Amino acid sequence: MVELLAQTGLNAIYAASYMSLVAVGLVLIFGVMGVINFAHGELFMLGAYTVVALYADFQLPFLFAVAVGLVFVGVVGLGMERALFRPLRDNPLGGLVASIGFLMILQALAVMGFGVRMEHVPPVTQEVIVFSEKVRLAVPRLFVIVAAVVLLTALWAFLKKTRFGWALRASAQDPEAAALQGISINQTSRIAMFIGAGLAGIAGALTAPLVSVNPYMGHSVIVSAFIVIIVGGIGSLEGAVVAAVAYAFVHTIVTTFWDGVIADIVGLSLMLVVLIVKPTGLFGTADRA
Amino acid sequence: MLLEIRDASVNYGKVSAIRGISMNVPDSGIVTIIGGNGAGKTTTLRAISGLERLKSGEIWFDSERIDHLPADRIVARGIAHVPEGRRIFPDLTVEENLRTGAFLRRDQAAVEADLEVTFTRFPRLRERREQLAKTMSGGEQQMLAIGRALMTKPRLLLMDEPSMGLAPIIVEEIAKIIQEISAESAPVVLVEQNAELALDLADYAYVLETGNLAMEGPADELHDNEHVRAAYLGV
Repeated sequence: MVELLAQTGLNAIYAASYMSLVAVGLVLIFGVMGVINFAHGELFMLGAYTVVALYADFQLPFLFAVAVGLVFVGVVGLGMERALFRPLRDNPLGGLVASIGFLMILQALAVMGFGVRMEHVPPVTQEVIVFSEKVRLAVPRLFVIVAAVVLLTALWAFLKKTRFGWALRASAQDPEAAALQGISINQTSRIAMFIGAGLAGIAGALTAPLVSVNPYMGHSVIVSAFIVIIVGGIGSLEGAVVAAVAYAFVHTIVTTFWDGVIADIVGLSLMLVVLIVKPTGLFGTADRA
Repeated sequence: MLLEIRDASVNYGKVSAIRGISMNVPDSGIVTIIGGNGAGKTTTLRAISGLERLKSGEIWFDSERIDHLPADRIVARGIAHVPEGRRIFPDLTVEENLRTGAFLRRDQAAVEADLEVTFTRFPRLRERREQLAKTMSGGEQQMLAIGRALMTKPRLLLMDEPSMGLAPIIVEEIAKIIQEISAESAPVVLVEQNAELALDLADYAYVLETGNLAMEGPADELHDNEHVRAAYLGV
């Protein structure tokens, strides 16, 4: 029983890692630009397909493919900012609808390029860290955990310690007052979009060998990410990380002891409870909710 | 003239907020804009700093036309704006708020020196350096908003209702600070509903009434003007 719990804990930490990367990006984009990026799950999918193309098909080194995934998806994010969200800035609903349209385009492109079959990416390494007979952690999963800790720490340092970090937070709190300090909303939007999309991309790239890659894989990720954001509080990056960890634990435990569908139901029910008890989320403020 | 507004009009949708206003701000001193609610005082300041677009007219700053520039470029030219309601960044610390004012500046050593000057001018801000801005009192937040604007190293400072909602003793302190700034740092354009205070501080005054320029003149002359006394000074 102890071993089963320990193994479930490890699985949950892994799930929390890639979920926080996706959710934090989504929160960052919403905070700075005020738009809910429905295509965020598809940016995750795009990161996974970068690894399918470069690592599985062209046999390039895995870490190189992951780095390309980060940058490439980040650049797609820049394109979205320029082409969709900037022209629709005064129309948050417009941004949301445009991102839903873009989601479908990305899915269709993935189907055209790779087909609807599930891609199996060969494992990067077969190595497993054995804690005991029944408690094991596959090394590729460890990659994801380490990457999430490193990237989230770097993001935190960027936001707290650099002038562009202050600018981003200022812009999220009051874009007009930020403009009066010389902080351009176009500039902060570009930064938020590049980071947010890039984090989704790298999460998809890192998990590609561990999941079945298909054009519709973004769907389950975005549902989890939304639950995490609503539970954590819409404006709060810290909240997103804490909620991702909590949600991943609940989801993984319920999946282990009952099954996945019940875990989804439990997750959504938790979201409902939080919305009823504290509508701004556990860490959120009412300002932009 | 440092700043010239020529025949400027601003509309909000179909409603006109200011109509054909012309104003001048010289290289030193305090210019005030007084008037009642909805007279167009705030709109005038917002138009200068690029937060509102002109429907017609021109704004010139230091021989450059600026009315087509976005707000973040106008700050770069040297116009700082302390907005109505202070608009400090609530979840940034006091020091981070001040540093956002220096966002565009590359002279790192001078920024650190100016931060020190700001903390000397506002000792309360030094005490609360690491505190979140939203935890401070109204007067302290107003000082933070002024300090943040000064960190941009402005050549002209726009202030919108700095006395709003503050206790009389704090208002006196703010008034002293405005005089210091105009003497030491940069000329000030002061928008105030407290006309008594504004006319006391200013050298020159403009009176706005429902979007039109009703009157202008040296502040002490307007202070003694029948109409101004009856309408704005309550005597």
